[in-house]
Amino acid sequence: MNMLTHMLSRIPIHPFNDIAGWIEQVAVLPVLFRAGLMQWSELSFGWTLVAVYGVTQMILAYAVCVPLERRYPIERWTAQKPILVDVFYTFLARVGVLPIMTFVLFYAAQVRLDGFLADRGYVPPMLETMIPPLFGHPVVTFALYALILDFTDYWRHRLSHRFSLWYALHAVHHAQRQMTFWSDDRNHVIDEIISFLWFMVVGLLIGIPPLQFPLLILMLRFVESFSHANARISFGWLGDRLLVSPKFHRAHHGILAAGERSFNYGAVFPFWDMILRTADFSRDFAPTGDNTAPEAMATGGYLAQQWSGIVHFAHSIQGGAHVAKL
Amino acid sequence: MTSYAQLSRRTFLAAPALLALPAIARAATAAAAPPIAIVLDSGGANLSIVDMTTRKVLREEPTFREPSHWALTPDHQKLLVCDATGNAIFFLDPVTGRELGHKLIPDPYQLWFSPDGRYLTVNCLRLNHVDVYHAATLTLAHRFKVGSMPSHLSYTPDSKTVFSSMQDSGTLVALDLTTMTERWHTPIGKTPAGVMWHDGVVLVAIMGSDHVAVIDPAGGKLLRTVMTDKGPHNLFLTPDRQHIYVSNRVAGSLSVLDAKSLNVVKQIPMPGGPDDLCFAPDGKLWIALRFSSQVAVYDPKTDATDHISVGRSPHGIYISTLLTDHPALVAMRLA
Repeated sequence: MNMLTHMLSRIPIHPFNDIAGWIEQVAVLPVLFRAGLMQWSELSFGWTLVAVYGVTQMILAYAVCVPLERRYPIERWTAQKPILVDVFYTFLARVGVLPIMTFVLFYAAQVRLDGFLADRGYVPPMLETMIPPLFGHPVVTFALYALILDFTDYWRHRLSHRFSLWYALHAVHHAQRQMTFWSDDRNHVIDEIISFLWFMVVGLLIGIPPLQFPLLILMLRFVESFSHANARISFGWLGDRLLVSPKFHRAHHGILAAGERSFNYGAVFPFWDMILRTADFSRDFAPTGDNTAPEAMATGGYLAQQWSGIVHFAHSIQGGAHVAKL
Repeated sequence: MTSYAQLSRRTFLAAPALLALPAIARAATAAAAPPIAIVLDSGGANLSIVDMTTRKVLREEPTFREPSHWALTPDHQKLLVCDATGNAIFFLDPVTGRELGHKLIPDPYQLWFSPDGRYLTVNCLRLNHVDVYHAATLTLAHRFKVGSMPSHLSYTPDSKTVFSSMQDSGTLVALDLTTMTERWHTPIGKTPAGVMWHDGVVLVAIMGSDHVAVIDPAGGKLLRTVMTDKGPHNLFLTPDRQHIYVSNRVAGSLSVLDAKSLNVVKQIPMPGGPDDLCFAPDGKLWIALRFSSQVAVYDPKTDATDHISVGRSPHGIYISTLLTDHPALVAMRLA
């Protein structure tokens, strides 16, 4: 019994923080110290933690999605290059430069806004101060943040299909004909910047959700990756209406659903589509891709896809930008 | 017959004792209650309430985002906890750790009451200002914008000056609280952090380097440097006033300085990112370890260290035995 108690006491209760803490001590702090950047040592722990969440999310997605994609494939391909490019996108988005840039840019924007408000005698809003009963109920608060952020992301996504100029960039995401769970982060960098600005405005209006719920954060990110999986999986009639499934999201990526004709915009929760009448549960597992997108966008390397997005964007301007009806 | 003037004079002379009465009453309450440690968890947005006897976490009290440092009110009735990114100060019962409420103020990262109890100085690390509040009402008396990333602070014993380290500017700033003006600022080294008034000089932990700077409070002149270890973060005087402990964040160690000579007399390995610490009445140190989700309880007599698992990123730590431990209160400038 004593041995069991001892063994249980050795299990870390905050594994993500402990891993991030170890990396912080052996790698991040020594680098900051040598570079004369120790003033960022407080924030760097947050960056490290985000990177640890990102790596864990990738491992989790790989461990779950690869066996399912092999067992229940919708399509089989021989060419691996398009998938490898998506893997590169994922590394860049989850553990690479983008999270740190996002962290730094959001921090800078938040400092400016908070400072502006403080000089006028105000403090910035947070859900918990706008709705005081939420205080002391962190999981409920986090769930509310997740719902609000997912709802605003629904609108960002929907509008990215309605504005032809914006869709010219978003087409990078839709051009993939070999869609797998790696494809979630396949985005044009300008599209990513717009997404970041969108999230930043919402974050500044309602505060950013606390980062102390790694499992919830991982679950939400996992749903987004999993929904792109090349796996013939549905959560059933009810499940597909509660959480975005591969079947639901593949309909959005279907070859006939590219651009303005699309539907199923939700990233995590499908009920925004149901409420706003953009849901379609009838379509089966259609081939993916965008016939209107340049070939380089589908099969080129990372830089070729990014450049192709710029060219596509320029052509859209020349062809006359337009906004489709919502 | 006692004249009004005599009465006034007696009242004036007795005032410090009268002011101390609530603190004395508080000590009696604290002595009867089980001792607790309150660990401020910057990563988990809550406070771990630890039974100091059983060393078990009794419960967690929520905050908004990122609790960092604490201050005890001069009458010892409330413990104030900063939540910088939550833009709030939380009020706790310092005996039980129960939350009593909160007040929204911008970016409180580090705070401390002036020795005369008149002001509460708040360093706003993100927003680059030092806010001085009237302690009685917590209304803003003055806002100083004197450098980038104000980090730690300390007062002169006469409460006339507060010293604040500017983490990003690499300066120490002396602020005159009688005129609410800057007295001086001086370049002091890379990333200055902990500040401590000690025997007529100001000690500053230079976190971007490996030493403590000894500064002349009159004009900010560097008098000497004391080599400790990589990344010295904060300084703490022992209750017997014989030693000063320095937490070295990068090296993962504690340096023990002789309080008179300021020479290093001992180095103690303390991996896990040592941050704030408190001295318990049994002589042990309770140390928050930022990067290992633990509090270390270190016994200087035996060099043994026990660990208690707490919240995700322990930052500040308060122990309720401070309320009954007069030497510790004096050392921490809380008496």
